[in-house]
Amino acid sequence: MNEQALLGLADDELVLGWRDSEWTGIAPLLEEDVAFSSIAQNEIGHARAVYELLAGPDGNADALAFDRNPDEYRCAPLVELHLLEWAHTIARRWLYEVADEIRITALMDDSDPAVAGLAAKIDREEAYHRMHAEMWHERLRDEPRFQKAVEELWPYALGVLPAELRGALVSRVGLSEVEAIERGTHTDELAPLWEEMTMVRRSAPAGAQW
Amino acid sequence: MPDARTEEFIARIQEGAQVEATDWLPDDYRAKLLKFIEMHGNSELMGVLPEREWILKAPTLQRKLALTAKVQDEVGHAQLIYRVVEDLGKPRERCLADLVDGKAKFHNVFHYPTKTWGDVGVIAWLVDAAAIISQKALLKCSYAPYARIMKKICWEESFHILHGRDVILAMVTGTPEQFELVQEALDRWWGPLMQFHGNPIPREEDPMFQWRIKSQGNEEARQQFLDGYVPQIRELGLTVPDPKLCKRDDGVWEYSEPDWDELKHVVTGHGPKTEERLAFRRRFLEREQWVRDAVLAA
Repeated sequence: MNEQALLGLADDELVLGWRDSEWTGIAPLLEEDVAFSSIAQNEIGHARAVYELLAGPDGNADALAFDRNPDEYRCAPLVELHLLEWAHTIARRWLYEVADEIRITALMDDSDPAVAGLAAKIDREEAYHRMHAEMWHERLRDEPRFQKAVEELWPYALGVLPAELRGALVSRVGLSEVEAIERGTHTDELAPLWEEMTMVRRSAPAGAQW
Repeated sequence: MPDARTEEFIARIQEGAQVEATDWLPDDYRAKLLKFIEMHGNSELMGVLPEREWILKAPTLQRKLALTAKVQDEVGHAQLIYRVVEDLGKPRERCLADLVDGKAKFHNVFHYPTKTWGDVGVIAWLVDAAAIISQKALLKCSYAPYARIMKKICWEESFHILHGRDVILAMVTGTPEQFELVQEALDRWWGPLMQFHGNPIPREEDPMFQWRIKSQGNEEARQQFLDGYVPQIRELGLTVPDPKLCKRDDGVWEYSEPDWDELKHVVTGHGPKTEERLAFRRRFLEREQWVRDAVLAA
């Protein structure tokens, strides 16, 4: 797999982990507070593992994660959206987990053993995220506001995957294929996220220890 | 005068016995216990908000992971503690409703703003250190279910202290500006930290001792905090912002009188961030009511 695609995976996990951690302390149920914090930690951990792989043994995963300009991030627009509202949050979690499973499964067959091994490790943790997303999908699928959220986010979900993997997503989600909101473009919500994410780090000269 | 059964109950717990949720409990004991434990649960939950905003600003992947895990622990503590409260007769929904309506109290330190990344270190290191002193004393609480969960809570809090100290250590050995962030945060937090354990009340006047809900005096806890942490603070080159602070030859710490009026004002719901934080929580609680309804209907 090429580096740009791996960077896309890492950026997806970083930014989605960041968005999910926005729920820490304010989720509708204390149990979900705890669950979202766990999921966020896993996603950030996956991002770190991929950044470390990309940065190499002498590289710096933090620099890769935080010291780029917003337009250099390769995340899908789906994960950038500011959705601090439960129906959309769960709709995104569910759509993302389905798309991510398709992507990770493909990566487990990658010709590079380091990539395939990492994908298998990530897959083991994602299994729990999928159970969580499926449970909520079961609970909310008859709620009109949830259905609406899924429809709104559908073009974004397609954009998580390269064109050749979208067929699998279409059959799993059960919606017809529409024009995807592609990776490589950014929503207006990435810039403020980046501002907040990097503000402490940028307050000291590059190379400072935190 | 308490009746014979209550007197026998008091004698038993004074000797160190612990009681269970299924035992007979005097009404006054149950009420005081419930109020005390509920405030603890509220504090764990409200303690999430000052740190929550900094999860999003954490400057490295490791710090973000550690801070998310720490804040997650606090919510987990609230969840455990509210279960104990529920057993005593007050459902979690009502605890949360009373909290956002401003009818229930929470600890003074969670009413203040967190202004810089320095606050993140000071809170995790020193606020959690102050808290663990009180919580360790609760391991001997006369109410066994509460004492039991305190084991897990204390264990986790001790990790938070290590995380906080590590955050502080990285900054005090960093740039002069980073050092200054820590000193400035310490200057702001010192007052609330000195108020944290409450004003010195003689044991005999405190009903919490009669019921052995608490077994440690407020001043005893504060002395333990000063003894454990002032030397460490100074070792890092930081200055404690109290010119009167010194350890006497007999080992007792002297300090400037904490501002008890401020403590009273803050814990009765008039802290600098009280209203904003309660409103924030209230907004999400109300807006996402449909989710709880959907879950309960399933």
